[in-house]
Amino acid sequence: MAATRSSELGDLVQIKKQLITIIAQCKERGLVHSVKWASELAFSLDPLPLNEIPPPPELTEEDAQDLDALCLAKSYFDLKEYDRAAYFLRGCRSQKAYFLYMYSRYLSGEKKKDDETVDSLGPLEKGQVRNEALRELRVELSKKHSAGELDGFALYLYGVVLRKLDLLKEAVEIFVAATHALPLHWGSWLELCNLITNIEMLKSLSLPDCWVRDFFMAHMYTELQMIKEALQKYQSLMEAGFAKSTYIISQIAVAYHNIRDIDQALYLFNELREQDPFRIENMDTFSNLLYVRSMKPELSYLAHNLVEIDKYRVETCCVIGNYYSLRSQHEKAALYFQRALKLNPRCLGAWTLMGHEYMEMKNTSAAIQAYRHAIEVNKRDYRAWYGLGQTYEILKMPFYSLYYYRKAHQLRPNDSRMLVALGECYEKLSQQVEAKKCYWRAYSVGDVERMALLKLAKLHEQLNESDDAAQCYIIYIQDIFSCGEQLEHAEVSTALRYLGQYYFKNKLYDEASLCAQRCCDYNDAREEGKALLRQISAVREQGEPSSTDLSLPCVFNPLSNNTTPVRRVSPLDLSSVTP
Amino acid sequence: MASVHESLYFNPMMTNGVVHANIFGIKDWVTPYKIAVLALLYEMSTTKPMALLDRRRLNKLILPLQQGPDLTLEQFLKIVEECCLRMVNAVKLRLFLMADGELQDMEHFFTILPNAFSDSEAFKTSVVGLFMRQMLLAYNKLSFSQVYKLYKSLQQYCRRGNQPELSALPAEDMELTSNEDPSADHIDKVELDTPSLHQSELRSDETRGPLSQKQAEYFLARQAYLLKNDENKAMSPAKLQDELNNILKFNPDFAEAHYLSYLNSMRVQDIYISTHSLLHYFDRLILSGAEGKSNGDEGYGRSLRYAVLNLATLHCRFGHYQQADLALQEAIRIAQEANDHVCLQHCLSWLYTLEQMKGSDSVVLTEDSVKIAAHFCLPYLASLGIQSLVQQGAKQGMPANKLLDALRGTDIMHWKQSLSELIEISLAQTTSIWRMYGKSTMARQQAQLLLNMNSLEPVNFSVQQNNTEAFAVALCHLAELHAEQGLYTVVTDIMKHLKQQFPPHTQHAKLWMLCDLKIQFEKAMNDGKYHLAEPHVTAISALNGTEGLYRKAQLLKALNQTTEASKILQQLQQQCEKSKNTEMIIRVMLASAELHWDSSGFATALPLLLQALALSRQHNLQSLTSETLLHLAFTQLMLGIPEQALVLVQDVLESVLAHGSLIDKGRALLLAARCQMALAGAAAQEHRMTAVELAVHTLDEAAVYFSQLDCKERMRDIHYLQARLHHTLGNISQRNKCAMLFRLLDQELPSSGMTVVNRL
Repeated sequence: MAATRSSELGDLVQIKKQLITIIAQCKERGLVHSVKWASELAFSLDPLPLNEIPPPPELTEEDAQDLDALCLAKSYFDLKEYDRAAYFLRGCRSQKAYFLYMYSRYLSGEKKKDDETVDSLGPLEKGQVRNEALRELRVELSKKHSAGELDGFALYLYGVVLRKLDLLKEAVEIFVAATHALPLHWGSWLELCNLITNIEMLKSLSLPDCWVRDFFMAHMYTELQMIKEALQKYQSLMEAGFAKSTYIISQIAVAYHNIRDIDQALYLFNELREQDPFRIENMDTFSNLLYVRSMKPELSYLAHNLVEIDKYRVETCCVIGNYYSLRSQHEKAALYFQRALKLNPRCLGAWTLMGHEYMEMKNTSAAIQAYRHAIEVNKRDYRAWYGLGQTYEILKMPFYSLYYYRKAHQLRPNDSRMLVALGECYEKLSQQVEAKKCYWRAYSVGDVERMALLKLAKLHEQLNESDDAAQCYIIYIQDIFSCGEQLEHAEVSTALRYLGQYYFKNKLYDEASLCAQRCCDYNDAREEGKALLRQISAVREQGEPSSTDLSLPCVFNPLSNNTTPVRRVSPLDLSSVTP
Repeated sequence: MASVHESLYFNPMMTNGVVHANIFGIKDWVTPYKIAVLALLYEMSTTKPMALLDRRRLNKLILPLQQGPDLTLEQFLKIVEECCLRMVNAVKLRLFLMADGELQDMEHFFTILPNAFSDSEAFKTSVVGLFMRQMLLAYNKLSFSQVYKLYKSLQQYCRRGNQPELSALPAEDMELTSNEDPSADHIDKVELDTPSLHQSELRSDETRGPLSQKQAEYFLARQAYLLKNDENKAMSPAKLQDELNNILKFNPDFAEAHYLSYLNSMRVQDIYISTHSLLHYFDRLILSGAEGKSNGDEGYGRSLRYAVLNLATLHCRFGHYQQADLALQEAIRIAQEANDHVCLQHCLSWLYTLEQMKGSDSVVLTEDSVKIAAHFCLPYLASLGIQSLVQQGAKQGMPANKLLDALRGTDIMHWKQSLSELIEISLAQTTSIWRMYGKSTMARQQAQLLLNMNSLEPVNFSVQQNNTEAFAVALCHLAELHAEQGLYTVVTDIMKHLKQQFPPHTQHAKLWMLCDLKIQFEKAMNDGKYHLAEPHVTAISALNGTEGLYRKAQLLKALNQTTEASKILQQLQQQCEKSKNTEMIIRVMLASAELHWDSSGFATALPLLLQALALSRQHNLQSLTSETLLHLAFTQLMLGIPEQALVLVQDVLESVLAHGSLIDKGRALLLAARCQMALAGAAAQEHRMTAVELAVHTLDEAAVYFSQLDCKERMRDIHYLQARLHHTLGNISQRNKCAMLFRLLDQELPSSGMTVVNRL
């Protein structure tokens, strides 16, 4: 199967021909986004020689009859006079004209609905405003559908109508049928993607065997947070000849962003901007990455550049918000996030980011509001839950924030940050047992910030469980050294200091002196290290023998046989284990 | 993500809370239904001569019509028709003229509307006047297209009302569209089934549109009131949740709905939703509080404190004591930081409640709470604390006069401050205290007082508050008191009422469940149907462990499994001494003494009984005192000192006959008779006959009580004794009759191992 697929993919000329055909078809029907997608893909492939360019499709008798009406209607359609377009198409018989006729009616309904919302009779009525045309469209389309008269485009429209009417199950069926009828139309795939909620559902669908399917699967994997699989798919697509496609590059970059592989993502975004300097899509994700890395000049450049391109885009506003936030101008940042929300109220990220800004400004009530909005838009937004927890923690209500952290943890069971936060709350409530559990779990799922072990060790220290504390410090030190890079908050000296004392107490003087010597490498522990060394030598002079009890753990021995049976999960694997 | 589909528009309306719901501060707006109401008001004020009765009926109609949810024209006309036939035609005419005419007609209606009220009895500030002015204001604010839309919907409203066969259609929502002729008048059709599809998951039986803010507020207030006062009259939990979801869908900023949702899910013990709703409500409340006084102590910080406090109460309700404790500590801490004494006081009162629920001693805390509450002038909390102290004092044997004094003192304050809730609690508490002291008449009187009292709360929605714990307690006491007197039909009635008033899923249902089980257990034991009593023991243990153990011991004792019974009694005694449950300790002692009798250890039972006597006297537990004295008398009788025994019995007989239950009365008289018999045996010949006759007489009295209870075993004993006595007296016919009765009962009953000698 894989072989046939790759051979199919290998035939790039064929694909290019298909793309050119579908571009023309979509263009005639006013499906602008599918045109864009197909064109982007076609652009990434080598141009065809003249004799290979596919001829325009043959016109049927009906097409010829409808030609003038279609022309007229299309021009009205392009000018967004949908009712007018529909009026002139009402008698046409060709498939193309029929689609445009129905599509204009649908868009007319949508447009009216949006206009309506502005002056509905009362505030509570606004939830009631709906596209009045949907029902009629559904009736007519379902009649035609049962008669089997719908082509791929019309099926797609039928699916959209069903989805808008919240008839999701029927919609999925129709979209699958649409992909079978016209696999090259990306719009149907995208709609399908929005309706699939889990991997089981995805597996249960029978999808057409076409090269577009690979794109769909890759997109789907990204949506379902199965980043590894998604990256694999995209990699194979690039190898098959789509290496230059900006679409794929952006998708891979987003995938890397999702699993927090910042370097890779940054590299790809930079490449993307080189190839497509006026692109606005996905730039908010890019700015998030720049923000995380505190790359001020780059972010500033990006922001200014995007403002020049189009300042009234959601992405632009988010980028500017991030820019101001990085410069600690939080009021302005909040303002820009607000603007982004005005442009698209369903922009979830902006709500959460605005909450963060208000937090920075110490305006907790506004932050709570923003986070609540984010949750109302999407209940599964773990950052908003986490933010709410943080807010209440700042208000010194650790018990209250427990609920919110628990929610966040439920949504991201393998994210150490939530676990550490939970642990801290429990610690504040003097629930040491729970706190220990949380910290240990945080370490087990791969601690991103490498704080869990240290906190666990300190907790053990407080509870006078010196063996456990020493154990934790040992793993902590090994962890810090093995990961190579130097972390700012690393408290190796604290750990070494404690371990030195611990070995000394247990009369393991060799290990103790080793720790003390290492202590001297750090400024804040140097004096104590020296003092310990002096103590050790003093004791040794008295001739007290070193204990030979080897049951105690030792930092410089291999620890594989120790009591910590936990398999380390790389912090980068986080998203792949998230359900 | 790339854009979802080809539509160039997003739909801002389905998103939540973007455009703030109440931009203009309009709480109400004009709908076709409102126009119909306005038309009715207009007609009412213009038609001057009207029958007084009609007018009165219509006037009564106005308020519900204004506040209720929008009705269909049909429903509206029907309601009006029931009041006044003439009016209905006028309103109908006016509406249809408007609907069949032009837009101008509606505009005309709104221009002439104010004239009608200028010279009538509807003042500008009256309910009607305010409503009308609000409607006019809302109408005048409408834009051109909105006016047109309103007119359109008015036309549809009237047309739908005119064609009832069409309005029946939306019932089958999904299939409706597919088999209809699309060329039919489509405006009508679309409008018709629009409500059905979009909210198909929310829809209740009748199709209802969204409520205006006014209507929603009214709805919430009504339901919350009903939940508090008479839950059975409120909507069912599922239906209420549906309505709330509906309200929240159209107006996510309506935070009060979250609170009602919290209350509603508490009804069905759903911790998940109730926590969620509670936190959501406070998250929202914090917002609104912040608007007024930013970060001030009054607005925002205050709601934070109460948020945590509410969370603590929630955990209390679900019995998560540790969680509740943590939340409470947090509330106390932040209240301390903010110097909020009132909140602190609330926390303190919850703290001692929590301690009490956990079963530990909290007198000191409670006393502190009362003192501080009095200092900060919080009468409610103060007297709540006093009541709690009284309860604990009663358990610990405080002098009765002090307790009742304290209660009376607080009662005066309650009446002054009209704290009706506390008055009810106080009455219920007095009932319980009297009951504990064994004064059944006083207890009955107090219970009746509570049940017949008119609540001080204003009677809203024709519902009087009667589902508080106090009512449940009083009713349970009444049931038990009636059961003691053998009036089981009355008990069944009371139980039926309790079941209705406090359905099994509600908070206070456990009270009557336990009470019901206890009564049934007692009944089964009295009837000697031990196999029936057994399942009750398990059920009682589920509700109350201590009580369950005690009942189990009783059952085992009755079944002659003495070793097991004594083991359980010992265990129980230890438990009760730990928890200082004096009543139970005395009961256990009595039961242990009875066990000693079974093994003929009458002398060993004596110290136990004396201990019990001292305890019960110390705690003023009169019924238990008399019970103990009877036990003592019986022991003395068995030890061969009937004179002493008779003196003891005669001492307590008065109070037993006055306050005791039927079975106690019977037992006391039976014991007296046996003492008399024993004395008669020892008496001189000339007095013997009179003494025996006296004993027969006493037995007759006892028989009356036992036969009322239908207590066959005791009756058998009595018949036996009577037969013997009559034999002594030489009344052959009497003797034969009694002997026959004895034989009949003896055949009927399984032969018990217990002989008449060995029990009280």
